[in-house]
Amino acid sequence: MKRVLIAGIGNVLLGDDGVGPCVVRQLDSTYSFDESVELEDLGTPALDFIDHIAGLDALIVVDSVDNGKTPGTITLYRKQDLLKTASSVRMDTHSPAIAESLLAADVFFGMPPREVLLIGISAESYAAGCNLSESVRAAIDSAVQHVLAELARLNISCKKKQDCPSNVWWSAVPHPQPA
Amino acid sequence: MAKRITIDPITRIEGHLRVDVEVDNNAVSNAWASCTMWRGIEKILRGRDPRDAWLFTQRFCGVCTTVHAMASVRAVEDALKLEVPPNAQYIRNLILIAHALHDHIVHFYQLSALDWVDVLQIPKADPAAASKLAESLSPWTRNSRNELKAAQDKVKAVASSGQLGVFANGYWGHPAMKLSPEVNLLAFSHYLQALEYQRKALQVVGILGAKTPHIQTLTVGGVTNAIDLDSQAALGMDRLEMIRTLLADVIQFVQQVYFVDVCAVAAMYPDWFKIGGGVHNYLAVPDLPLDSKGSAYDLPGGYIMNGNIAGTRPFKTAADKEFRDSVSEDVTHAYYHGGKPLHPWKGETEPEFTGWNGEQKYSWVKAPRFNSQPMQVGPLAQVLVGYALGHALTRKYADLAMGKVGAIAGIQVTPDMLHSTLGRHAARAIRAAMLAELAQKHWQLLVDNIAKGDFAVHNQPVFTEHEVEGVGTHEAPRGTLSHWVVVNNGKIKNYQAVVPSTWNASPRDSAGASGPYEASLMRTPIADAEKPLEVLRTIHSFDPCMACACHTFDPEGKRIAEVKVL
Repeated sequence: MKRVLIAGIGNVLLGDDGVGPCVVRQLDSTYSFDESVELEDLGTPALDFIDHIAGLDALIVVDSVDNGKTPGTITLYRKQDLLKTASSVRMDTHSPAIAESLLAADVFFGMPPREVLLIGISAESYAAGCNLSESVRAAIDSAVQHVLAELARLNISCKKKQDCPSNVWWSAVPHPQPA
Repeated sequence: MAKRITIDPITRIEGHLRVDVEVDNNAVSNAWASCTMWRGIEKILRGRDPRDAWLFTQRFCGVCTTVHAMASVRAVEDALKLEVPPNAQYIRNLILIAHALHDHIVHFYQLSALDWVDVLQIPKADPAAASKLAESLSPWTRNSRNELKAAQDKVKAVASSGQLGVFANGYWGHPAMKLSPEVNLLAFSHYLQALEYQRKALQVVGILGAKTPHIQTLTVGGVTNAIDLDSQAALGMDRLEMIRTLLADVIQFVQQVYFVDVCAVAAMYPDWFKIGGGVHNYLAVPDLPLDSKGSAYDLPGGYIMNGNIAGTRPFKTAADKEFRDSVSEDVTHAYYHGGKPLHPWKGETEPEFTGWNGEQKYSWVKAPRFNSQPMQVGPLAQVLVGYALGHALTRKYADLAMGKVGAIAGIQVTPDMLHSTLGRHAARAIRAAMLAELAQKHWQLLVDNIAKGDFAVHNQPVFTEHEVEGVGTHEAPRGTLSHWVVVNNGKIKNYQAVVPSTWNASPRDSAGASGPYEASLMRTPIADAEKPLEVLRTIHSFDPCMACACHTFDPEGKRIAEVKVL
């Protein structure tokens, strides 16, 4: 049985950076998956990402992306695109480390995820706040479809559930904006 | 000729650490530490239910999740004068210990080791000699010639395939690298093994917290773990045994590998006991409470001013009155509106971005001060405070570490030498060894308390219409963390988090006093300004954490150390 992780990455307190976790929670509330598929809102795992991806057959990451495109645009990145961004200097254990984690899992631990897709959603704003901007919110359904297409490509089935509200608790309660 | 080095590792939007140093005559003559992004996350909390605050604060940082969750529930409990049942204290303590062990291992092997270990030397090592050396240092069973040979083969394969970029912060072949090929190989082999043990520590957090990275079992007043010794679904003997087994492996790795590696590496770089001291004021809070009131703790807290160890003052509780009254934040050199330093309960977070100007404002980090003085926080602060107060466990492992380094290096190592870059690494290893021992103790305390028939895990919080203030502290892996909350009529009126890295990365204050990062870099020798390895050694020794706020993937990501001739 193939082991697959669908990981939403991003900080849910910083505006559009929270889109990854939102997409994963939407998937979780609308589809049921094969037992081999795990969905995780991983927040901002930095180097701890290695612990989550080692030994997977396939990794699907949903993340906000800063690529200068119109907010809400979806761009797909494969493993080789991600590996190109590995750094030369690291200041701390907590900076984003998708490329480093993939490299480490690959080179040292001999258990790289075989298939990797990052579904990147161009962001509009990273201002502190628990809500997505309209342009990015509008891209959620499309990001969900990209995840489903990747699962289909990997021959992994999933079923539509009865719609139930997505558990995006951080923006569930309307909250007075600070003055 | 003077040069300016700017280490600004990530482009554009991420909040991260930037360091500027001026180098004159091959030594640092001036330094500025700054953070490049405004967070202002605390504002999100205003108006919310204090019982929910921890769910939000554990999203401050994706790696220190449990840390901010714990400080938050403690802050609200302090405001409500709410006690926490013993079982809940022990469960929380086990989560905190497991997280800290994970964090310290990751810090050393994933971030710092490559500041001292030169991977280019590894192919030259003799695995048999390395194995013999290892056996003279530690009883660890995974130091065989075969195991080391396999690690060496990995490096050779990586080098021959041109993938050395995997060593993210490597300045390989730098003239400041001094380890023998065998020690380099040994450290690298343990870097590979560390992944297994750091993961086991996280599994403990996962079992007790229901999930990682975001734990689910905290609540204001205790925890939500149901205790039932006969149940597999609740916290019963099955899960407790699983935790004990996982911890036993992690403890062994910490005491036989991590602790020993730090001592061995330190012994090979004795000069670095003289570099990187900086601010000699230290602050630590007591942690790992032993009873429901929080009147006794397993980790000591207190403060030291001007390196005066004999004058160390203890904190009796985690929310000690002197601590409560003495913390303020100065924004003279930070991108915020404001005048006088403010106590966190009165704290404001109004941005005023002016662009980097070393003479004026240059950082998004505020400057926290204790009695108006900059303080160094972190394992070194805790170890020095504990040592000064005669804390038995601190003395045990600090003396062991100093003895071991001294024996390998053939020098006398004294507590005074810990005011240094290597002192911070040694202290973190000492603290990890202490926590490893305490993990077993708190597991036993939990099991014994349950065996007495006490299954309580939670006290109900009660809010009144009155305005109340609270502080929740935690001696986190990076040092003293405090969350400050003002609750009015059951809602959050103000919330401020004063995090360890703001103490250490703080900019200058109104008196012009530098924070610990800046002060520690002064006079650091720099062999090659194009490759400022020495700056990274000292900065890494603090274990910085500020980049974690925002995690956008940047496909153009470039990280640079820029050098300008002044």
